[in-house]
Amino acid sequence: MTRRVKQYINGSWVESNASTYTPVINPATCEVLAECPDAPVSEVDQAVKAASAAFEDWRRIPVLSRAQYMFRLKTMLEERFEDIAALIVSENGKTRDEARGEVRRGIESVEFAASVPTIMRGYRLEDVSSGIDETAERQPLGVFAAITPFNFPMMVPLWFLPTAITTGNTFVLKPSPQTPLSTELLFELLDELDLPEGVVNLVNGGKDAAMAIMEHAEVVGVSFVGSTPVARIVYETCAKYGKRVQAQGGAKNYIAVLPDANMEASVANIMGSVYGCAGQRCLAGSVIVAVGEAYEPLKAELLKRASSLRVGYGLDESTQMGTVISSAAKERIHRMVDQGVQEGAQLLLDGRNIKVEGYEDGTFVGPTILDGVQPQMTVAREEIFGPVMSLMHVPDFETAIEVINKSHYGNAASLFTSSGKAAREFKYRVRAGNIGINVGVAAATASFPFGGQRDSFFGDLHGQGLDSIEFYTDKKILIERWL
Amino acid sequence: MLNSFGSIFAFAIALEAQMRDYYQAIGAVERAKDADKRRQNLERVRRENVTEIKLEPIDGLDEADYVLNLDGAESQRNAEGLALRFYQDVAPKINVREAQRALERCAKQYEAYLA
Repeated sequence: MTRRVKQYINGSWVESNASTYTPVINPATCEVLAECPDAPVSEVDQAVKAASAAFEDWRRIPVLSRAQYMFRLKTMLEERFEDIAALIVSENGKTRDEARGEVRRGIESVEFAASVPTIMRGYRLEDVSSGIDETAERQPLGVFAAITPFNFPMMVPLWFLPTAITTGNTFVLKPSPQTPLSTELLFELLDELDLPEGVVNLVNGGKDAAMAIMEHAEVVGVSFVGSTPVARIVYETCAKYGKRVQAQGGAKNYIAVLPDANMEASVANIMGSVYGCAGQRCLAGSVIVAVGEAYEPLKAELLKRASSLRVGYGLDESTQMGTVISSAAKERIHRMVDQGVQEGAQLLLDGRNIKVEGYEDGTFVGPTILDGVQPQMTVAREEIFGPVMSLMHVPDFETAIEVINKSHYGNAASLFTSSGKAAREFKYRVRAGNIGINVGVAAATASFPFGGQRDSFFGDLHGQGLDSIEFYTDKKILIERWL
Repeated sequence: MLNSFGSIFAFAIALEAQMRDYYQAIGAVERAKDADKRRQNLERVRRENVTEIKLEPIDGLDEADYVLNLDGAESQRNAEGLALRFYQDVAPKINVREAQRALERCAKQYEAYLA
C-alpha cells in the first residue's frame, strides 16, 4: 500500500481523515512515492487552534532561547543536506545541484532567523517632551501561515517559518500537494528540535485547506507563493478576513542583451536562468530581448548551448536539466509552444519530443527556443513555467525597456551589458522587483526582501530580510513619565 | 561527465576516497589522512558554495581523462600527477571563488607531493 503523508499538529504526527488523496509522483520515473491527504477543514482548524494555544507561552520564551532553535536547525539541515537534496529531486524533478542550491538558500534563511535577537530590537527616544520618553517595541502577533508551491518545496517554507517563530509567533504550513515530502522531512527535523507543542504545525491539501487557513479567525497573517490568479485570490480573501498578507504571484521575466555584452559569459548565465529548474522558477528568464547587433551572435550561441544541454533524471550528477513537475504541466507547455508557432514565432529548437533513455515515461520537456517572438504574442505575455525561451529582436535599448515595461508582470528583469550607464538606466526605469545586471537569476539573498511588482506581487511587505521582521511583528509604542 | 558544479565535486570527492584507500593499502598513513581530509573538505565546500544564481553548464572537460590507474610500480606518482592535472583543469571552470580556491588548494597539495 502506498504510504500516506502525515500531518504534524500540536507536536505529534497524525494521520489525516481525508476522504481524498493526491498521488505524489516522481516526475522522472513516474513512481508513486506517497499519497498526500486533502485535509478537511476540521484538521486545518485543529492545527490553527494548536498554534493559537501555543502562542502565549511561546512568545514568553526569551528571544535568545528561540534563536537557539535556529542554530540547532541549521546544524540538522547541514547534516541531512544530501538526503534532503535527493528527496527534492525525487518529488520535484530538478537536478541535484539545483536541489542543493535550494537547500543552501533555505539554510541561509534559518541563519537569518538566528539573527532575530539583533534585528527585532525596537528603538527609544528620551525627552520627547520634558521628562517623557518614547519607545517602540516589536511584538509578535499570533498565528501565521504559509501556503507554498511545488517548485521550491524546501526553500520557500524556510523563507517564512524560521523568522515567524523566532520573532515569537506560531505557525501553520500548507505545502503543495505535489511535493509534500520535503516539507515532511523538514518537520521531522523540527520535531527533533523539541519545540513546544503547537509552535509549528503542518497540514496538507489543496484549495479547501488553503481557503480554511485564509478564512480562519485565529490566523493573523498569510504568506503565499504561487501563480498570479491564485495570489490575487489569496490577497483579496486575506484582506476580507482582516489578515496581513504577502502573496507572490507569477512572472514573465525579460532578459535584455546589448551588443557590448560579454557574449560567452552572458549566454552561460542565461542558460542557467532560462533552463535551470526546467524553467519552473519565478525568477526564470523567459523572453530574451536581443538589442540591435546582439541578435545574430546571441541567437547562434544560445542555440548551440541549448542544443547541448544534457536532459535527464536529476539524481544523475551529469544531468543539466531535469523534468517539469507533471504530465499536465508538460501538456500545458506543449500547448503554449504550439500557440507561439500559430501566432507567428519560429521554432528554432523543439524540445517537445525529447526521449530520455531509461525514463521514457518521465515528464521531460527539452530546451526549446522560439525565435521571432513579438510583444503581443501569448508566449511573450503569459507565464509558460517551462524550459522555453522566447527570442525577440528589438532595434535599440529604448525599445527593449519599453517592451519590458509593457508586461503586466514585474518579478524580475536582467540586462547583459558592459555599459555602466545602460545598467543604471535599466535599473532605474524597469518596473520589476528584482533587477539583474549580468545576472540572469536576480534572487535576493536571505537578508534582502524578496518580492515582485505589478501582477507578480500582492501586498506591502515582501518576504525575507527586514521586511519579514516587519511582517511578523507589530510595533507597540510606549510613552512613559515617572512622577 | 564533468559538466556541472556537482559533477565536478562528486568526481573530486570520489577521487579522494580512492586516493585515501590506495594510500592506506601501500602504508602511506599521512597521505591517507590528507586525502580523507581533502574529501571531507570538498564535501563541505560543495554544500556551502552551491550557488543557485551562478549554476551554469560547464563544458570542455571529459571524465575519461582523469581515470586513476593504481596498478604498477609508478602508480603513486602517476596517480598524484593525474590528480594534480584534474584539479588544475577543473578549478578555472568553477565560477564560485571559494569553491575554486578549495580545488586549487588540492592541486597545491599534490604539487607538493610531486616536488
